Amino acid sequence: MIQVQRGDMAAYRELVRHYQTRVFRVIRAFHRTPEDAMEVVQDTFLKLFVARDTWERKTSFCAWLYRIAINASIDRYRRGDKGRTTSLEDMVEGQVEASAACRRPEDPLEHVSATERRRILEDAIRRLPARQREVISLRYFGEMQLEEIAEALRCPVGTVKSNLHKAVTGLKGILFKQREALGYE
Amino acid sequence: MSECDSVRDLLVLHFEGELENEEEGRVTAHLSACATCRAEAEGICTVRGWLSDPKLFAPDDNYGWQMLPEALAARAKAERRFWLPLSYGSTGWALSIAATLVIGFGLIYWAGRVADRPVAATVARPPVAAPGNEAFLGRIYAAHARAETSEYLAACQDLLVDTLRAEPSCDERKYDVSAEVTRARDLLHRKRMLDPELGAPEVARAKELCDELEGFLLNLSLSEKCESRDKLHRMERYVRKQQLLLRIRVLQGEL
Repeated sequence: MIQVQRGDMAAYRELVRHYQTRVFRVIRAFHRTPEDAMEVVQDTFLKLFVARDTWERKTSFCAWLYRIAINASIDRYRRGDKGRTTSLEDMVEGQVEASAACRRPEDPLEHVSATERRRILEDAIRRLPARQREVISLRYFGEMQLEEIAEALRCPVGTVKSNLHKAVTGLKGILFKQREALGYE
Repeated sequence: MSECDSVRDLLVLHFEGELENEEEGRVTAHLSACATCRAEAEGICTVRGWLSDPKLFAPDDNYGWQMLPEALAARAKAERRFWLPLSYGSTGWALSIAATLVIGFGLIYWAGRVADRPVAATVARPPVAAPGNEAFLGRIYAAHARAETSEYLAACQDLLVDTLRAEPSCDERKYDVSAEVTRARDLLHRKRMLDPELGAPEVARAKELCDELEGFLLNLSLSEKCESRDKLHRMERYVRKQQLLLRIRVLQGEL
């Protein structure tokens, strides 16, 4: 990043290559289509370059990067993507109903294909409140420490812990509720 | 709150490795004794395992990831040319503000100096056109030239009228034109400063008249303080023959 601050474009390319997938995974939960998320990834790295001199060495680079990414997601949402982002209640409910009509396996989450399981889990994450979604995305997809997450979200570490607990138990609740809706246990 | 509730609140952080030693010991001990909480812990552990799936929310291969760094670098490079403020950094900003203050105070000081100059020397210089905004500055230049020329012609007109109306006040029926001589000299000086403006096409017709007036002013400036009636008559005939006053009025209307 220090080289990027000096205007080294090769270092910038390497930085994008290193973080692009992680940034995509972090912000993907906030956008309905992967194309939207892809555009936000591009916005994020362009903003990073423009604002490169505002990053200070004493602060966490990941926290700073994901702060930009989250803000870019919010900007995109405000610009008019509201209809395309993550109010997914109907989407998930529709999938539950569709799945219920099919021949049921013994355990819908343990025995469905990996692809299907991912889709169910992604939809469940999108149903979480925004702050919990941010925390879980930064923790598991951004691979950040809780202190870094607190810095990125500008909140106390205790709040991050609390939201992480609520997010994981909330996810568990959504997935188990889905299992009950499908008629198991 | 029961011990089970208390432990369940810590289960996520237990698996994250974020508990203090004392809490960690309490959770471990409770889980070994409580089957219900152990089942709850297994559920959380399963969810965490799914969240650790690297393919979760991962992009498809067909998004052109290989090309993205190159494409973004090109766009960032292009934006760099048009973007300034944040790249200054804190030191850069401090220097910029200092430079702005110095230039600002310099301009105020310069403006004060210009305001204190004598009237004859206050013909303002036109702005110098910079590449890229010639059209804009050209319009300012033309307006400036018209205003200066019109003002100069008005001063000449006043001087001509005053000279032709001079009354005999010196000895031997001569005419005191000392004030007019001084004004003629000032106007000759002013004409030299006006010459750049007179090069503008918008005042081309006025330039011809100003050159003629320069001859008249030169003649007047070389006069004696007390001039003979004959010389003044010759001047008057010249002014009438060349229709100087009429032409000045017409040109002022055009300007």
